[in-house]
This record gives sequence, C-alpha cells and structure tokens, in this order.
Amino acid sequence: MSERKTYKKRLVIVGNGMAAGRIIDELIARDTVKPKSGHSLFDITIIGDETCGSYNRIMLSSVLAGTTSAMSIIQKPASWYAQQGMRFMAGIRVTQINRQQCHVLCANDERIPYDHLIIATGSRPAHLPALNQNIAGVMAFRTLADVDTILSLSQTAKHAVVIGGGLLGLEAAYGMAVRGLQVVLVHRSAWLLNRQLDEAAAAMLARVMTHKGVVLKLAAQVARFNGQIRVESAQLTSGEILPCDVAVIATGITPNAELGIEAGLQGQYGIAVNDFLVTSDPHISAIGECAEHKGKTFGLVEPIWQHCISVADRLVRGMQTAYQNTPVATKLKVSGVQVFSAGEWLTSPEHRAFIFVDSARNIYRKLLLKNNCIVGIVFFGDVRDGQYFFELMERQISVIQAMPQLLMGRRFCTQLPSMMALPMNKTI
Amino acid sequence: MSSLITTAVPEGTLQQQATSINKEHTTCCYCGVGCGVTATIQNNQVIAVQGREDHPANFGRLCVKGSSLHQTQHSPERLLRPRVHNQEVSWEQALSYSARSFQDIISKYGPDSVAFYLSGQLLTEDYYVANKLIKGFIGTANVDTNSRLCMASAVVSHKRAFGSDVVPGCYEDLEKTDVLILVGSNAAYAHPVTFQRIAKAKQERPHLKIVVLDPRRTATCDIADIHIPLAPGSDAYFFNGLLSYLAQHNYCDAHYIAEHTQGFEAALSAAQKQVNNIHAAAAACDASVDLIAEVYRLFAQNKKVVTLFSQGINQSSSGVDKGNAIINCHLATGKIGKEGACPFSITGQPNAMGGREVGGLANQLAAHMGFDDQADIDRVAQFWQAPNMAQTEGLKAVDMFKAIDEGKIKAIWIMATNPVVSMPDADFVKQALQKCELVMVSEVIADTDTAKAAHVLLPATGWGEKNGTVTNSERCISLQKGFLPPAGEAKHDWQIISLFAQKMGFKGFDYLHTIDIFKEHAALSALNNTRKQTPARAFDISAMADITLKQYSNLLPIQWPVNQANPNGTQRLFSTGSFFTPSGKANFIAITARLPVLQAQRNEVIMNTGRIRDQWHTMSRTGTAPHLLAHTQEPYVDIHPQDARQLNLLEGQLVELGNRGARYIGRVKINAAQRAGEIFAPMHWNAKYASSARADALVNPFVDPICGQPEFKHTPVSIVRHNTQWTGFLVTTKNHEPQCDYWAKITVQKGYVFRVAGVQSIAFDHWLKQQYPEVEQWQELQDSQGEYYRAAGFVASALVVVFNANQGHIGPTESRWLNDQLGESIEDGVRYSILAGNTGCDDEDQGAVVCACYQVGTNTINRKIRSGCQSAEALGQVLKCGTNCGSCIPELNAMIQACRSTGV
Ligand SMILES: Cc1cc2nc3c(=O)[nH]c(=O)nc-3n(C[C@H](O)[C@H](O)[C@H](O)COP(=O)(O)OP(=O)(O)OC[C@H]3O[C@@H](n4cnc5c(N)ncnc54)[C@H](O)[C@@H]3O)c2cc1C
Ligand code: SF4
Repeated sequence: MSERKTYKKRLVIVGNGMAAGRIIDELIARDTVKPKSGHSLFDITIIGDETCGSYNRIMLSSVLAGTTSAMSIIQKPASWYAQQGMRFMAGIRVTQINRQQCHVLCANDERIPYDHLIIATGSRPAHLPALNQNIAGVMAFRTLADVDTILSLSQTAKHAVVIGGGLLGLEAAYGMAVRGLQVVLVHRSAWLLNRQLDEAAAAMLARVMTHKGVVLKLAAQVARFNGQIRVESAQLTSGEILPCDVAVIATGITPNAELGIEAGLQGQYGIAVNDFLVTSDPHISAIGECAEHKGKTFGLVEPIWQHCISVADRLVRGMQTAYQNTPVATKLKVSGVQVFSAGEWLTSPEHRAFIFVDSARNIYRKLLLKNNCIVGIVFFGDVRDGQYFFELMERQISVIQAMPQLLMGRRFCTQLPSMMALPMNKTI
Repeated sequence: MSSLITTAVPEGTLQQQATSINKEHTTCCYCGVGCGVTATIQNNQVIAVQGREDHPANFGRLCVKGSSLHQTQHSPERLLRPRVHNQEVSWEQALSYSARSFQDIISKYGPDSVAFYLSGQLLTEDYYVANKLIKGFIGTANVDTNSRLCMASAVVSHKRAFGSDVVPGCYEDLEKTDVLILVGSNAAYAHPVTFQRIAKAKQERPHLKIVVLDPRRTATCDIADIHIPLAPGSDAYFFNGLLSYLAQHNYCDAHYIAEHTQGFEAALSAAQKQVNNIHAAAAACDASVDLIAEVYRLFAQNKKVVTLFSQGINQSSSGVDKGNAIINCHLATGKIGKEGACPFSITGQPNAMGGREVGGLANQLAAHMGFDDQADIDRVAQFWQAPNMAQTEGLKAVDMFKAIDEGKIKAIWIMATNPVVSMPDADFVKQALQKCELVMVSEVIADTDTAKAAHVLLPATGWGEKNGTVTNSERCISLQKGFLPPAGEAKHDWQIISLFAQKMGFKGFDYLHTIDIFKEHAALSALNNTRKQTPARAFDISAMADITLKQYSNLLPIQWPVNQANPNGTQRLFSTGSFFTPSGKANFIAITARLPVLQAQRNEVIMNTGRIRDQWHTMSRTGTAPHLLAHTQEPYVDIHPQDARQLNLLEGQLVELGNRGARYIGRVKINAAQRAGEIFAPMHWNAKYASSARADALVNPFVDPICGQPEFKHTPVSIVRHNTQWTGFLVTTKNHEPQCDYWAKITVQKGYVFRVAGVQSIAFDHWLKQQYPEVEQWQELQDSQGEYYRAAGFVASALVVVFNANQGHIGPTESRWLNDQLGESIEDGVRYSILAGNTGCDDEDQGAVVCACYQVGTNTINRKIRSGCQSAEALGQVLKCGTNCGSCIPELNAMIQACRSTGV
C-alpha cells in the first residue's frame, strides 16, 4: 500500500507516431516500470492528433500497394493504453506548451501538467512552391487517413500525378500504378533518388519504374494545379499539362517543430537536442523527426530507435546513453526493385570506385573507397550483402585486400576483411 | 568422279554395321616406345583405347598421351580438303598443279632444285614410296626428315662402330640388367611406358642400380640411386674417363677386344690423353669425384650394364662422338649382345627407325644401303627400275632450309612435320619458306605454323585411318591399323605420293594397298644381302617378302632381322660377336671430347630444351585434348633459385629469353633441379598455342659435322624479366589469338583459356570489346584506378567470353567451374557468379532476402526457426530481422507458421 502514496512523475508525450510508440515500449522494457500494477515510476499521458493508436507508418506503402491491410499495421490500438495504465488522448492536438507552469494546452482547452515532457510530433510533407495546391485531390502521403483518402479516390480516378522522385514518391507512384492508375511521376532533379543513387543506377531504376507503368518526368517541376474544387490537372513549368484526378506530394518533409519553437525552445530546422535528446529546457525532451541534432534532422526510423533508447535509459535508470548520429542505409519498398544505398553516392576524384554492371539484368553495384575503406555503397537490382558492406563502412575496416572479389558478395570470397581485426574507429 | 578420288579401302574393315562395337589391335602413334594399343570402335569412332596385353613394348600399359588417343581423333582443326593458294580444290586440281610445278622447276633448274622433308611420324610404307620417288625417279637425294633432329647422331655412331645402324638390345635388357645408366634421357617424360617398366623392375629387384647422368634432376631421377648433374655437353668426357678407368683398373675384356673389335689402342690413348683419371673426369664434368668413382665402379664390376641414351647425347654438335664414346666402353668390356648388357639408343619418334630402314634420309640410300658404294646405288636403281637414280648424298635438314633461303631449292614437299616450330633457328626456316617458289604440305591439321606457309595443302589421313607398319626403338615392327574411314577427303600419304608420281608420269607407283609396298620393301632388304653366308646388312626382313594380306593385317609385333635364320625375328644382335663391318669386327672410335660450340657470355644463360610429360612434338594433335594440357598448361622456364635471385625473378613471373632475334616468353618456375646458369624450356609450344614460345627459334643452327644433327640442348640465350604491366585470362569459345604481348592457349572442354599479359597498360574494357565485337551483352566489373577489370560477354544469353585481368604480374584466380560454363545459356542465379568465378560457398547462401533492413534471408531464418526460434521477436533477437522497420514481421510469422505445419 505504501507504494501507492509514492509520488509518481508525470510524463507527458505529445504526438503518437512511431517514436512515441517505441519510447513507450522502451520504458516498459526497463523492468521497474510497471504502470498497470501501480509500481510505475511514471504517470504517462499520450496526446496525439491522429485518431487511432500508434501504427507502423512505414507500412503505409504496403497498404497503398495492397499487400498489407490497414488493420494489421496498427501496433497499439486505443484500448491498449488503458490496459497499460496510461492515458491516451486520441485525436487531440496540443496547441501550446507553458514551460513556466509546466503544462501543455490542448485543442480541447484541457491543460495537462508534466514533470517531464517528450515532444514526438514528427514531420509533415514539405511545402511545394506550386499554385492552387489547396484543392481536393492534392494529397500528402503521410498518415493512415491520407492512404484512406487516396484509396477511395482511386476507385474512380484514372490519372495520378506524384511529385517527388525520392523513396516516398516512388513508393506512392508504384502503389497507385499497381492499383491500376496511370501514374506520372514528376521529379525536379535529372535522375531519381538523386540523394541515394548515381546517374547510372538511377537510369536502371528509371527503366524498371517505366516498366512498372510509371511515366517519368525528370528535371521537371509542377507550377500549379488546375481545378476549382477538385484537382483536374497539374501544369509543369514547361507548360505541359498532366491530367490528374489525384496528386500526391512527396517532395520531402518539414519537422513539426513549431510547438516547441513557439514555446521558446531553441532550434533552427527542428527542436534542437543534445546527445541525450534534451532540449534547451531540461524538463523537455524531443525525439523523432521533430528533433534536430547537431544541425541534422531525421527521415528514417533507425536513428529514432536510438533516440528512444537514450531517453528511456535516462528517465528510468538515470543513465546517460549518448545518441550518435550514424549513417543509415536506404532501402526502397517497391516490389521487385532492390535498392541499397549508404554513405556517399556520387563518385568524385578522391574516391576509388569499384563498379559491377549487368545492364541486361539491371544490376548495378558500386562501392566507393577512401583510404582503402568503404565510404559509399550504391546497389541496385542486387543488394546482396548490403548490410555487411554497411557494417564494414561503419567500422571503417580496410577492405582493399579483398577487392574486387568482395564486391560480388562475401560468399564468393575465401578471405574476408576481419571485423575483429580493427577496433571501431569511432570512440564513444 | 575422277579415278584419282577413289580411296583404296583396306580389306573391308570399314563396312561394318554402324552400331556394332568392335576391337582392333594397332600401335600408338606418338613416341618411340611404340606401344601396342587395342582400340574400341563404334559408329566409325574410336570410343576407347587400351594397352595391348600381348605387345612386347608395353604389355598392356599406356601413358597419358597414349590413353588419350581417342580424344585427339576429333580435332576441330582437321584439314579435310586439298587447298591451292588457300582455295579449296579437287585432288585432281591440287595434284596436277603440284606435279606441273615440280616438273617446271626440275626442267629449269635440275632435280637438285627440289626437296622432300619427311617425318618420323610417317609409316614405313609412306616413307618408302617418298624415298623411292625422289631418289629413284626425280633424281635427287634432297630428302631429309625430322629424324635428323633426333636420331642422326646415333645412326652414325652405330654405323661407325657396328658397320650398320643397329640397336643391339631390346627393352627386356632394361629390366634384366644390374646397372642401368640413363644418359641424356628423361625417360619418365619422353618414354613413359619404358620408364614404368624400369620402375617396376627396380621395385622387384631393388639391387638393380639406376644411374642418371643429366644436368637437370628430372622426373627420371625419382627412381635413381645416383644422379650426376654433370655439366651440359660433358658426356663424352665422362665416358672417355670411364674407358681410361676400365683400362687402368684392368676391367677391360682383353679376349673380347682381340677377337671381336679393332682400334682399341687408338681409342684408349685418345681417352687417356684427355681424361686420364677420375679427378680429370670430375673436373671436366663439373661433378663430384665420389659419385663419378662410384658409377665407374658399378660399370666396371657388373657384367650386366645397359647405357640408355637419347636426345641429351644426340642433339649436340658432337653427338656422333658421344655415342661412340659410350659404345667404346661397352665394347671394351664385351657388354654387348648379351641379356641385360648393351648400349641402347632410344628413339624419340614412333617410326624414326622405320625411316632409317627405308633410307629416308639424305645420307642414306635404301634398306641400309648407302651412297658410298656404287654397287649399292646400281642395285637399288635396278630394283626400282629407276630412270633418274640419285648418285650422291643430298642436303641434310639444316642445309636444306639454307638452300631454300639461298634460292637453290625452289620446291619443297613437307609431310607430317612442323619445321617452322621444330627446326633450330625456326624463324629463319619460316622466312626461307616464304621465299620458296612452291611449298607443298601434307597435314592432318589445317593450320599448323608450317601449313600457313603452304601453297599446296594436302589432307592426309591420321591415326586410326591410315594403315601401315612402324618400327620402335627395339627394332620391333608392328602394324598401325586403319579401321576408320578417312576424314573428309583425306588420303593416305603413300597414296598421295603415288598419285603425284603418276601425275609426273612415273611408272612403278601403282600400289593398291600398303601390303604391296611392304612386300617390295621386304624384297629390297633381301637384295644381295649376303656376304660369306651371313647377311651383309643388318636390316633384313626377307622372310616377310611373301607375306599374305591376312598375315599382314594381323601382324604380330616382330623384331628384325626376320630372315631364314630367324623367321620369328631377333631379340638381340651381335651375340656371336660378329658385326657388319667389312672385317666383321666392331670398331673402336678414338674420341676427343668437345664441348658445345658456344659457351654463355656475360648476362647469358644456357638454354636446354626438351619434352614435358603430356605433349607430343609441336602440339598439333595433343594440344587439342583438354586433359593433356592439364599437367603443364603454359610455356615455362625452369631456373635455379640462385639465378632467379640474381635476375630478380619471382615464381610465376614471365621471363623473356632471346637469341637470333627470336624470343621465348615463359613463366618462371624456380627449380633447384636446374644447375645454376642453366635453364630449361619445353620444345612443344607453337604459334597457335602461345605468342612467343617456339623455343627452337632460339636454337643456333650449329650441327654435328658428321651427321648434321643440330645442337638443341645447349644454346646461350639472353634472359630478362618480362616487363609485365598487366596479367589476366580469357575464357572463351572463340579460337582467336588475343592482341597482346603475351598469350598462351589452353584447350578446355568447351573452349579455350588464354593466359594473357602485356607490357603496356591498356584500357581493359576497350581492348576486350574490340576483340569481341559480336558480344551482345556485357557484364562488367570496373575499378576506377584500372587495377582490376572483369567482364563476361553473352550472345543470346550464352556465355562466350570471360575476361579477368589486373595490373602486375600475378594473374587472377582461374576456375574450372567457370570454364565449364562456356557456351551455356546461363540462368540468372549463376549469371551473377560468373564474374566472381565461383558458385560461392553454399552454407553462406542466405536465400532470398526477407528482412531488407538487415538483409536476412529465408535460409538463415528457416535454420533458426528449426533450431527453436518460435516468434518474430525471438528471431529478431538472434538475427536482428524485423527489428528495424518491422515490415517483414508478417512474413516472419508466416514462415514460423509454415514450419510448424510442415513439422520440418
Ligand atoms: C509512406 C511512408 C513510408 C516510409 N517508409 C520508411 C521506411 O521504409 N524506412 C524508414 O526508416 N522510414 C520510413 N518512413 C519514415 C518513418 O515513418 C518516419 O521516420 C517515422 O514515422 C518518424 O517517426 P516520428 O514519431 O518522429 O514521427 P511520426 O511517425 O510522423 O509521428 C508524429 C505524430 O505526431 C503527431 N503530431 C504532430 N504534431 C502534433 C501535435 N501538435 N499534437 C499532437 N500530435 C501531433 C502526428 O500527427 C503524428 O501522428 C516512411 C514514412 C512514410 C510516410
Ligand atoms: S609411351 Fe609412347 S608409344 Fe607408349 S603410349 Fe605413351 S606415347 Fe604412345
């Protein structure tokens, strides 16, 4: 009984996306925390503006392409929170943080006090410099609701335009093409995935996407959308008009940092955090895509899992686990298309490049070396051992003695660079 | 069809049921051992060969070359139709053209303006007809043979000592002796089956002492009790020393010397003058006194001694003298004509002996008769009814090609040999042929280096197709049987020569079958062959002059002489101590040993040449059998470690030898079996198999003044490291010489491997694509620094070429697996492995990727499920799969489910 009287810290989490879902798991996993049995250190409140519980946003691409159902990607249904002894405020936006009084103000005017606040508000699609984008049918591809809308539009729609030839845009274009729409993908750069692939690999990707029914407009930009209430066409700066019943914008993301910035937290692109994910206010942490660490923001989940570990360690165990910004490998989730890219991707004179090409089979594998160590990986069509190379790159292990055989894959090598031979180059 | 086209079919052997399998007894066509072979034939193809159990040369054994006879049968490079100036023509056209050209040249310049250059690969009957045509009808003795390059010295040594070209002993003597001295013989490689017999005898009778005298420690030394690595060319000093030793220690057989020999005193004093004792011998031979003393003692104290000698003795500017220095020692101790005791010259080629029997050399007439006796000349002319009998010796090989160069010989007919590769100073030979007005070549293979120089190219039948006899080193005549139809329009050599003779208007060439020729040959051997009741000439097969077709076709191996006195042949000669000299006594020859003509200058080494185990001659036939190239694949140079150090050479690097403007490039094999300052290069490679590896092109045309045999075993050459900038290999279906400084071709099951190298860095991709314009799809691995390059080319998804190269002198790793993919339509899974060069290690094959984030594959996951991971989380803990983006978790669960339901 005495435990009941123990004061519990009030922990408030704003945003219920992938970072929020994961940090809860990390908190629970640190075993002293048993909210349900009342043994918990914390009173946890989660406030999210999406109506359902936390889901696997990554799988939205699969839902769009029809390989996974919407139901199956929901990891934490609304009822789950109560079972864990947490409060979940679904479909409610936080509008303000009052740092002096240590509470947050919700759109329903409720004030929720906190001892510690975690901001996990993620990001939103970046702004597109095109006119008339606020009409129906001009969509983002970010939430389950977005996918719902696209899917219901797809029932009647014939033409789709996707803007942005990055990972997200390609997955959206592919998903809609699979659903039978005629998809045109408009991309500003001269080649697809221009932040991950070099021109040669991108040319193969372009061939494959074309084969899958996606028409590509490279080095092109949308100037405006036409239509009164509903979108009817997209007009390029070249003047070309692309008919469309649905347009998906996937030109990058902007951190949802305003909530914190307006409350006086520091940050340029997102909410600035230190190595322990603490903002300029020690009572407030920020994780996920809304955060900015050493001038960098985030777009993939892998580093975000590290955020969650660091914060959970600190809040539960008082341990200072530093977060390190390490490179992350890119993979594309388009059926039949394998892409693996990490580190540098454009060959420059200071690189030594090893390249395997099988044009007839659309296979391209490039390793970039500097000082005999891998600094870049660009694989297309056959990504075997991508992760292995990634580890060699992260650990800066000399690979030159195993080249060029190693490029074909480690199972073809009799001698492999030893992972053990060298300590990790980076100090912790 | 003209009557010229019909081919005489040997006694119905060809008209068998197509599918029936039958066996034929025949003889191997390669070395001088002359092994009996039983061939299995089906559908007009030899499908298997086996050693013939009842043949005295091999008793069932065969070496690698012999056991591959059926594989070299279907060479894609066979010459199938006559060609004149590179145009395929009919036989009628080819022969009319050649006969007319010969006639024109003879009528303008006389008979000495034409020549034949023959080969120890020809059968006795072929040889006989060629010799008869040129010496008796065309009227010149300008006929020589490649036997000049191997046996000429021994022939003259025999004639000088015995009055006749006779090998006194037989193979059995090698087994029955107590001391076997092999000198200048790497029997293990050059006479493999004989070597096996010796090895077995040694095993059964360990007290049989085996001594090898050879500058190199060869494979033959494996069974030797003593190996003396004597200085090259010092052999005659060794045997002069032995003669002195025998006299000094009273080991000579005074009785034998007195009764059966003449000239002993002069020979002994010449020997003593030069090499008076063991120490002098050791100094002259650059060998250990103790070893020499031991070998001398062995020779002296044993009754049964055989000295087996071969090219190390013969191929020398003093080869005749060396042979006689050996024979002197045997005569002095009476070690001749007895079981287990004789000097034994072993021949290189299958029918070198047969050629000697018919007199197919410039300094012989026929059937062991010579030009030094007018009676002989007249006798033969009469026998042949020859209108234009040659009266004097003709030009020997080296001089013959010189005469061509000088324009004295204007027409030459080359049969069954490849002098552009095998002659000394072979580049000179090539140039000479280019100047020659008419070059006729009879060949089995279409584009030998010599065939390339031919104006008239005539397709000859090969082993299995042609019928006739051969004689091996122990005078044993056996039948090489024809049991296959000729390939294409090929004809037998005797037929070609006869048809040509008829075209020239000569009578006496209307043979219908080889037996007609053989009987004439046998009859000639009997002609006036008696002196005081004993044969005047050793070669006497008079008992075979009336042989029936049935006997001939089932000829059992038989050793000549075969005459009334010895109807079943003769195992050993000179057993009674009577010889074929006018006096009936054997001659000692006084020998003053000489060293080779040239010694090495500064920066030079002495090049020795010889055979490797699995190749025959210039590789025209054996080079096409993949597994014969498996043992030694590339031209090489054996070099002593000390020389290698000095010259800064590493194992496997290319090294360049030079002499007379010719060069030889081969791989360095560091080998302590060489003497320092001396190197060894194999003689086989021709320009079809390597860019610059015709070793004989470097050999000086120095010949023995008596017999004209060239000094192949001792050539001072320059030596430098090849300035290799890049090295690689091509695996390809295309038999096409790569455009680069160095290449060597290796025949494999489905195509060729070319080892390539260059002295200048090249853009690999550019270079490759230029040579394979037909390739439709390329797979490439590029290195921006140009250190490595790999590429595979496909035509309609079939693999036609793989190129793998890198900078430096150490080439990339080759693989048999890769060679086996040639010409195949490659499925995607394997296609990826082509540039890796192997299929990869199977236990590391993860299978299709399930977890894209951590690249975990089906196989790995299934293995873990089977070993107890029953949830996606459990899998994630051990394999990390599904722990990043989680998109594979449904698939992981499905796999666990599947595993449970199948119970695997
Ligand atoms: C279609 C798609 C495919 C993707 N595929 C991959 C992939 O393959 N691999 C990969 O690593 N990453 C992928 N990503 C990116 C990945 O989903 C994000 O990096 C990750 O979701 C970021 O997590 P977060 O918690 O920071 O942000 P989010 O998951 O966006 O969560 C933020 C939540 O906060 C809510 N919110 C925002 N402001 C407020 C507020 N004021 N009050 C209340 N709630 C608020 C938002 O509505 C949202 O629900 C993909 C993204 C998309 C859209
Ligand atoms: S030893 Fe000579 S004859 Fe015998 S099989 Fe070998 S190559 Fe033929």
